[in-house]
Amino acid sequence: MIYADKNTGVIVCGATGNQGSFHIDRMNQYARSVGGRGVVAGVTPGKGGQEVHGVPVYDSILKAARAKDASAAVLFVPGSAAGDSIMEAADAGLELVVAITEHIPVHDVMKAVTYAEVRGCTVIGPNCPGLFSPGEISMGIMPAHLATRGQVGVISRSGTLTYEVVHELTRAGIGQSSIIGIGGDPIIGQTFADALERFADDPLTRAVVILGELGGNLEEEGARSAELPVVAFIAGTTAPAEKRMGHAGAIVTGGEGDANAKIMRLRDAGVPVADRLSEIPAMIREVL
Amino acid sequence: MKLKEYEAKAILEKAGILIPRGILVKKGEDFLVSPDIKEAAVKAQVEVAGRGKAGGILMAENARIRETTEELFRATIKGVPVEEILIEEKLQIQHEYYLSITIDRSKKAPVILFTTEGGVDIEEVAQKNPDAIKKATIYPLLSAVPGYTLRYLLNGAPGEIGAVIQKLYSVFRSKDALLAEINPLVMTADGLYAADAKLILDDNALARQGIKENRDLSDRERQAAAHGFSFVELDGNIGVIGNGAGLTMATVDLINRTGGRPANFLDVGGGADRVRVAHAVRLLGSMPDVTVIIVNLLGGITRCDEVAAGIIEAGVSQKIIVRLAGTNEAEGKALLSSKGYLMLDTMEEAVTAAVEAAS
Repeated sequence: MIYADKNTGVIVCGATGNQGSFHIDRMNQYARSVGGRGVVAGVTPGKGGQEVHGVPVYDSILKAARAKDASAAVLFVPGSAAGDSIMEAADAGLELVVAITEHIPVHDVMKAVTYAEVRGCTVIGPNCPGLFSPGEISMGIMPAHLATRGQVGVISRSGTLTYEVVHELTRAGIGQSSIIGIGGDPIIGQTFADALERFADDPLTRAVVILGELGGNLEEEGARSAELPVVAFIAGTTAPAEKRMGHAGAIVTGGEGDANAKIMRLRDAGVPVADRLSEIPAMIREVL
Repeated sequence: MKLKEYEAKAILEKAGILIPRGILVKKGEDFLVSPDIKEAAVKAQVEVAGRGKAGGILMAENARIRETTEELFRATIKGVPVEEILIEEKLQIQHEYYLSITIDRSKKAPVILFTTEGGVDIEEVAQKNPDAIKKATIYPLLSAVPGYTLRYLLNGAPGEIGAVIQKLYSVFRSKDALLAEINPLVMTADGLYAADAKLILDDNALARQGIKENRDLSDRERQAAAHGFSFVELDGNIGVIGNGAGLTMATVDLINRTGGRPANFLDVGGGADRVRVAHAVRLLGSMPDVTVIIVNLLGGITRCDEVAAGIIEAGVSQKIIVRLAGTNEAEGKALLSSKGYLMLDTMEEAVTAAVEAAS
């Protein structure tokens, strides 16, 4: 597994909101089932002293981190505040921030991701389902029951597409080591290349599935530097040019970022690319 | 959201960048042209790529400005009707430059592009003479462009362009822009002018920019956005509802690969419940070309019985094919089959069934 494990103490920012409180409960249910520490503290400014599903809430990330010896945070705060939360987490000395929040202004993300980087804080997301390592830890919103522990890593720009593939892998009897949603926004913290580097150092992982989309060139960049065998899938091959398909990352401008061109470049680099999601398990078996 | 040329220019002018003298005319409105304007560019305010080549910009001498404007109001530019026209005094061009600022995804930073070969399509310059384009990323924690970056970009071009770059960078930051472009930036005897300008703002920052409504959306797209859906109209006959952009996009792709034609892309977003699903199904049901609707929802916490109730509640006349995975799957399936809806276990099966039903 990569980025975090059973022993990681997690803070949830935006703990008293609907999403935050719902997912604290789910993450801790999972932590109990695997014997992990899970969510040890919540943060909502001005609501320090309250409790959410038995988890104490603090006014700041620094207070929460000191009181509960936490080193990572999951953000459920609104888009307008999430950039500031990432920087607050970095200032508090956290090692890892997973930003679930969508609709963060891109200028805020650029600033916050850079700020966190210079302070040695790793950012996953924003606009992502988070991190899930079967048997170890859930840091985000991924459904636990679809996954099963094994040797295949998954890195994805999309949420439900990830679940679909994890579901297919599990049904085919192929377990996963860690599943990372890196997020669908134009600017993200951890990229395919970053996550692939972590997987290369993970003794459990033997191959990686990368799930990309039209827009940008992070998939090619990552696949080219990968040390482990990689199988890819790219969504948006039939999206019309200049149309947006949900993610801000899904803007096709000229040739760059076009899904078909991206697939061509991946295949040229020797990376097997699945035309259909259902082909992925067989292709993974081949590279294992 | 794309701003119109005159809106972008108003913002640049406020930031201290010179823009040509001009007036904005709305269709049906009377207007006066100042007699001291010898020649003008008559420019349709439409958001169409390649506007000039498509006949959206006409040059006219003073005596012909009025009839040229009227002529342009009667035209459509790549199918878009002309509602507003910007009439601008023609500049006495000494040189044309290209300047833009956008976001470099892999460097995670703003990037400035500058070339002394302005006034033409930048993609053309990029192909024919890529070395002529100077490119520099700006460290995102800096609030201004450093002097060494300006010197690198200008590479001997007139120093006063540096001030324009600095002003455009401040517009790019303060307006939450994804793109700020001046092409051409025109050198005249009395200074540098933004002869054409483009600004695209970040949709996620419209609220703090004081913009209430995203004009880039069609009526149906706006209706969808009000429910929190991401929606794009395509031209086929299979309506598509999914949750999550990636999965919905992959569903659209799979329909195309299987030989069908998707009518749309609709991502219901997180927490697909009865009410949201009913709205989504009704929205597609109201599209005249849609003959079949495929609902592909996958989530750990999606309650299938709720979703099934929403589909039934919508009560549209089109055939609906459902693929659901989540909690209470058996209840959802029983509910749907009791009303004659087809529910399948995998995305492949559902797409194949939808394509067959639509052909």
